[in-house]
Amino acid sequence: MSNFEIDKIQIGEDLLVMKNITKIYSNGFVANKNVNFSIKKGEIHGLVGENGAGKTTLMKVLFGQENLDDGEILYCNQPLQIKNPLVALEKGIGMVHQHFMLVESLSVAENMVLGKEPKKGILYDKKEAIKMTEEVSKLYNLKVDPNVLVRDLSIGYKQRVEILKMLLHGAKVLLLDEPTAVLTPQETEELFKQLKELKNKGFSIVFISHKLNEVKEICDRITVLRSGESKITTDVKDLSEDDISKLIVGKDVELNIVKNDKKINDVVLSVRNLSYKNKFGLYDFHNLNFDVCGGEILGVAGVEGNGQSELANVIAGILKQSGGDIKINGESSINFDIRTLREKGVSIVHEDRMIYGACKTMSIEQNIVSDRYYKQEYCDKGLIDWKKVRKDSENLIKEYSVKCDGASADIKTLSGGNIQKVVAAREFSNNPKLLIASHPTRGIDIGAADLIRRKMLNLRDNGTATLLFSADLTELISLSDSIIVMYEGNIVAYFESTTNLTETMLGEYMLGIKKQSDEEIGGVLHC
Amino acid sequence: MLKSSKIEKQFSILRTVFSISLALIIAFILIYTVSDNPFKDFSTLLFGPLKNTSRIITVISKTIPLLFTGVAVSLIYSAGQINIAAEGAFFSGCIAATCVAIIPNIPPIIHIPLCLLAGFIVGSIVMGIPGIMHVKYDVVTIVSSLMINYVALYGGLYIILNPLRDGKAGFEASLPFSLNAILPKLFNEERIHLGLIIGILVVIIGVVLLFKTPFGYEIRTVGQNAKFAKLSGIKTDKVIILTSLLAGGIAGIGGSVEILGNYNRFVYPGFTNHGWDGIMIAVFCRNNPKSVPFAALFLAYIKTAADSLNLTSSIPIEIVSIIQAVIIIFIAAERLLAGLEHKKIVEASKNNLKLEEVK
Repeated sequence: MSNFEIDKIQIGEDLLVMKNITKIYSNGFVANKNVNFSIKKGEIHGLVGENGAGKTTLMKVLFGQENLDDGEILYCNQPLQIKNPLVALEKGIGMVHQHFMLVESLSVAENMVLGKEPKKGILYDKKEAIKMTEEVSKLYNLKVDPNVLVRDLSIGYKQRVEILKMLLHGAKVLLLDEPTAVLTPQETEELFKQLKELKNKGFSIVFISHKLNEVKEICDRITVLRSGESKITTDVKDLSEDDISKLIVGKDVELNIVKNDKKINDVVLSVRNLSYKNKFGLYDFHNLNFDVCGGEILGVAGVEGNGQSELANVIAGILKQSGGDIKINGESSINFDIRTLREKGVSIVHEDRMIYGACKTMSIEQNIVSDRYYKQEYCDKGLIDWKKVRKDSENLIKEYSVKCDGASADIKTLSGGNIQKVVAAREFSNNPKLLIASHPTRGIDIGAADLIRRKMLNLRDNGTATLLFSADLTELISLSDSIIVMYEGNIVAYFESTTNLTETMLGEYMLGIKKQSDEEIGGVLHC
Repeated sequence: MLKSSKIEKQFSILRTVFSISLALIIAFILIYTVSDNPFKDFSTLLFGPLKNTSRIITVISKTIPLLFTGVAVSLIYSAGQINIAAEGAFFSGCIAATCVAIIPNIPPIIHIPLCLLAGFIVGSIVMGIPGIMHVKYDVVTIVSSLMINYVALYGGLYIILNPLRDGKAGFEASLPFSLNAILPKLFNEERIHLGLIIGILVVIIGVVLLFKTPFGYEIRTVGQNAKFAKLSGIKTDKVIILTSLLAGGIAGIGGSVEILGNYNRFVYPGFTNHGWDGIMIAVFCRNNPKSVPFAALFLAYIKTAADSLNLTSSIPIEIVSIIQAVIIIFIAAERLLAGLEHKKIVEASKNNLKLEEVK
């Protein structure tokens, strides 16, 4: 069985080589074409590229979640067929997904041993599981408490559990799919320290990220994928961030956002004493007060799970508040249904793109008209004018440069970035008075993110009030006019201007290390 | 990518042909093992319904009620509701029509629409209740709708066998219908009635409603992603309830039409199975009412073939039913040939790549 002798491979030699990998999905989408990729022992290898460039697919092929249609994989200089994740794990290849694959209701130890449960007779051996967890935790100097339930953990902690789980299963090659997307700067730093330690112990790590500064900081080599093809593999130290972004996009992209001076209008969104109690009877946020004016972007910073997504859902009418009031243009909106909210000029970019933002089994045009199909402009004598829908959709597709096969193509044939462009096309094109945007550019490529940011700034310049939730602090700081920070369901800081604000400053408030006085926070009230 | 959607279409045809052939092969083997004259019996199964006009008329007559239940289930399934109360709605449509049809001395021009209206309303109620219970109290639709069928069945039989029972009939049946309520026959054929035209109208209305109207768009959106629909401003609860009422109403009219077109009093001792058949048709049609007439014809054809096989051969009725079931199971097999389809698509995409490189 173990003719794959990892120990015989020296540090710096090729451990894993993927040759001419081609992967075609059942809808005919070519995710990888003739991709060449290799991982050396003891290196951190960055895999970068736009959304839909094929990074995740390539890793899924390596982890056995997708089967390749062409090409071969050499592992320790021997051909290896990876039919499913069990084979991959057995050979020492482990993957940490963008969306964690942990069972929330089980403890850390139970999650760790899943698929490899220690047994006493025919029964599950809980003590042994805890012992195994503690041992591996000590061995790799990654501290976890085996007994806590996963659902009580922070995102960064969950990630540590995921990584440790792969190590427990004997992984020598770790595939990390956008591990830092949901982390605070401090958590990211901690992760990098751990990754470097693993590297020094001879582990190989593949690091997928859109954040070029991180790639630059931690990776030894990078491979750039563009439209499913591998463009280049090279040492990171030879490249600047600009060089990398040029390689990714294939052309020059301006990363800097130019913002016009803000022209503040009247208050559009006014939130007073707003609270939300979840089904467990706990407050996800409590007594929030803030205002957003027309022509202003108010950013909301916070580590995930501190009440931001509930706040967005309450204002958007998906969840019902438990106390307090929301006024939109002076009118209390807490009893409005979503149709009424939208007719009052509220647009919503939901954080969950594939569930709330878009319907993947419907076409682009049907997704674009979902909030306006009933309006007079699209309805003629009780029938929907699908010709007009098609025409308008095609215009929007052009305006938002959605890469697709026409307005009748199904959403599921598009890449993540292009799906988000469709969502943005719908939500931005109805002249919103208030835009609630949650993570509008999360996990999408530079080009698409850039377009969406520009469009949001356009709306702001035209007088839209925007409430922006984002885990990408660089984006939050550069787009927002002012920022509030949420921690454990409260507003703990208000920054009227973002000019001299840094990510680290925000991070201190996000982690609850610092808190402003009520007076300072009160600055967010304009009336 | 257009190429791959073409392959998908080709394969959906190929799949149907393939599954029918496979089903027929199995049917032949079954017949061969039990029949004294397998080749004659097999040809009865294949072509029996075409043998004489009477059988062709039987096929059409059996198609009529299936048009209603097929469209009804297609609509409710399009809304993502696994509501299987079409059977009960159809049955209660028969009962409601009977209640109105026994009233004497109403002119036909009013009497027939009145009967159909009664069928629509009662059918709506039967199918609407599970929908409302799901929306208001989160009751699992498949269970509540299954149960409501029995409420409709036994409630209906109680009405027929007590207040409406005709003691003089000599068998369990309702009072006779007023002649004014009986549907006019078409083409001078005893078993082809006005219901055929109403059924075709229902199919057309179903297609237009689902694909051309705002309400139809709401139904499909709710069915495919209710959360997305909700955030878009669609009132998902209202859509689910209205669709349940409408689908139940259509099934109810189907029941009214069936009883008033073929009988002169209520005679069913139990479920008629038209509602269950409607579910099958909706699955064949992937919830698209446009294909309902074809699926309904196909099902009626198989049933007629099975009947004629039963009449003309020594094959036991159980085997005939098994053959019928096998054919239907194969038709419903969606992932048949999926592996080959993937290979073809991969090949096509590769060729595409090569072409692009040449360019």
